[in-house]
Amino acid sequence: MSVATEEMSRTLDAVRQGWIPTSIYSDSAVFEAEKRKLFNRTWQFLAHESEIPKNGDYVVRRVIDDSFIVARGDDGKVRAFLNLCRHRGGQVCRNESGNTKRFLCPYHAWAYKTDGSLAGVPYHQEAYGGDAELNKAEFGLFPPPHTEIFNGLIFINLDPGAKPLQEQLGDFKTYLEFYFPPSPRHVEVRGPQRWRFKANWKVGAENFSGDTYHTPHTHASTGAIKLVSSAATTNRKAGIMYAAGGGSGATFRLGEGSFEQRLRAVGYPDDMIKRMSDYMSPAVRGMIEKDGVLPSAGTLFPNLSMLQISARVDDSGEVYPFTTIRSWQPISATETEILSFFVVDSDATPEFKEKSYKAYVMCFGTSGMFEQDDMDAWVTLTRMTQGYMSGSVHLHSRMGLRQDGTPLTEPLKEFSGPGVAHIGFNEYNQRLWLTRWADYLEMDQPSRPVRAAHPMAQAAE
Amino acid sequence: MLAPVAEATKMLPFNHPLHLAAHEFLVNEAYIQDRRDFDAWLALMTEDVVYRVPVTSTLGANAHKSDEMDHLHEDLFSLKMRIARLKSNFAWTESPPSRTRHMVTNVCCYPTEADNEVRALSAILVFRTQGDYMGPDLIAGSREDILRQQNGEMKLAQRIVRLDEAVLRTQNLAIFL
Repeated sequence: MSVATEEMSRTLDAVRQGWIPTSIYSDSAVFEAEKRKLFNRTWQFLAHESEIPKNGDYVVRRVIDDSFIVARGDDGKVRAFLNLCRHRGGQVCRNESGNTKRFLCPYHAWAYKTDGSLAGVPYHQEAYGGDAELNKAEFGLFPPPHTEIFNGLIFINLDPGAKPLQEQLGDFKTYLEFYFPPSPRHVEVRGPQRWRFKANWKVGAENFSGDTYHTPHTHASTGAIKLVSSAATTNRKAGIMYAAGGGSGATFRLGEGSFEQRLRAVGYPDDMIKRMSDYMSPAVRGMIEKDGVLPSAGTLFPNLSMLQISARVDDSGEVYPFTTIRSWQPISATETEILSFFVVDSDATPEFKEKSYKAYVMCFGTSGMFEQDDMDAWVTLTRMTQGYMSGSVHLHSRMGLRQDGTPLTEPLKEFSGPGVAHIGFNEYNQRLWLTRWADYLEMDQPSRPVRAAHPMAQAAE
Repeated sequence: MLAPVAEATKMLPFNHPLHLAAHEFLVNEAYIQDRRDFDAWLALMTEDVVYRVPVTSTLGANAHKSDEMDHLHEDLFSLKMRIARLKSNFAWTESPPSRTRHMVTNVCCYPTEADNEVRALSAILVFRTQGDYMGPDLIAGSREDILRQQNGEMKLAQRIVRLDEAVLRTQNLAIFL
């Protein structure tokens, strides 16, 4: 075992114990390992189907340094492919979104259809000898090894040997369906807001996985101005946290009353409650009706997070719920780009959509009065742990564990949702997230997503 | 958004009283912003103020999205809430407060259909640092303002800030543009 491997192994063991070496938030070697073993092996969210409703619609999104076009072809089918011309590596699409018939490489004008296939090569016959020598059918834009859609959410996986998306989701599916119901047309996604902040990408993903402990203090300002109902900030301890399948999250406690009354109290109008009931799983319905909690923040491992809360947007005293989904895209070990989307029931009234959107902008995103202070905490953490001395510290992430490693609290015996649930402040979910992260970093690298096309390389394989 | 050429013919001359009043307003406002005098800044707003910072996106032809997403999408209520928060002692991200310098230039004014309103276009460059650790961050964009004369005073009735960056490179918009 090399020194580097031994050091990584010690780091990962410490992470599993809840003693977090600060280096995981700034060490470029750790980031290199994440690129080679985590982001190229896990299902990565790129876009939502509602962003590309019409044939020819497309958006361009990244996974680390790879740019992908997600387009709806002339046949109505959604596909993803690498934004890279097969000829000389040109960037065939330079927009963030649009509608087109063709993606035209600016370099030598190779043209691709919206299904990724190569449609035109200038002087194909004269310069290349036509399809006999350069078969256009073999030179489409490269699709990622796997593309799957779950309730409108478009994911790709760069590992040719990847297991199906459903396996990565596992029982988290039930919770994801609270935010993204099984009818994809039921939801529309706006955005994203994109911005970069100088923090490690993991901090946000961990936070959304279950950090209710930070809410009363980090977000004290939102309580001071009564931006949200007091339960959302001051009564976080009474919420239930769950971990299920590939994700985990938090809930907040609802007031007393029936299913409808509880949802009305956090601002859901009756027409939405009706639609939510139509699509809601019995498990989530039980959480609301029986357990008295509503999903708030959650993270699908590794880097897709979501959140639902309610806020005031006018003097009426009413609160309006909103949903956001965001992907944490690392730029480097110490910088992250966030893509933050607003999500709303597409059948909601225009008035509700406007209020819900306003609640989102007031609370989350670039200027959100919650998110502003999260950014500050995460940027500060990343900056403060980059030192020689601070870089040797192990942070304490053992809330909910005794010194001997046994849990302080037992999982809830009765909880309507799937997975393991605890009540009160703890860091079970963050440790689970970090343990899973450590497991990925100990895996071998997956095989490469693109097989070399030339015969010599194929012979060597 | 720059003024269309056709509009340039209607541009108020730089010595026009409305241009002078608008320019004075913008310079005055920049000083108020940079000394963080939030109450004075709020007093510059009309009751029906619309303050938006739409997300800049690199759209290809026929993109179905336009100005649908904003970084800020404010009315007087939400501006008041944001300022109450900044004054709450719990707005950790602004502790210590950002130091900003709002540079406002290239001011061009146009008449509107309302006699008491003027449309003012300008360019802004905001320099932001914090403590001895943050930045400098630069935020550049254009402003499209509607200024309204009310009881002898100029007020901001509408502001749309169009940013030059598709991806913001400042950790948040805890400051106003």
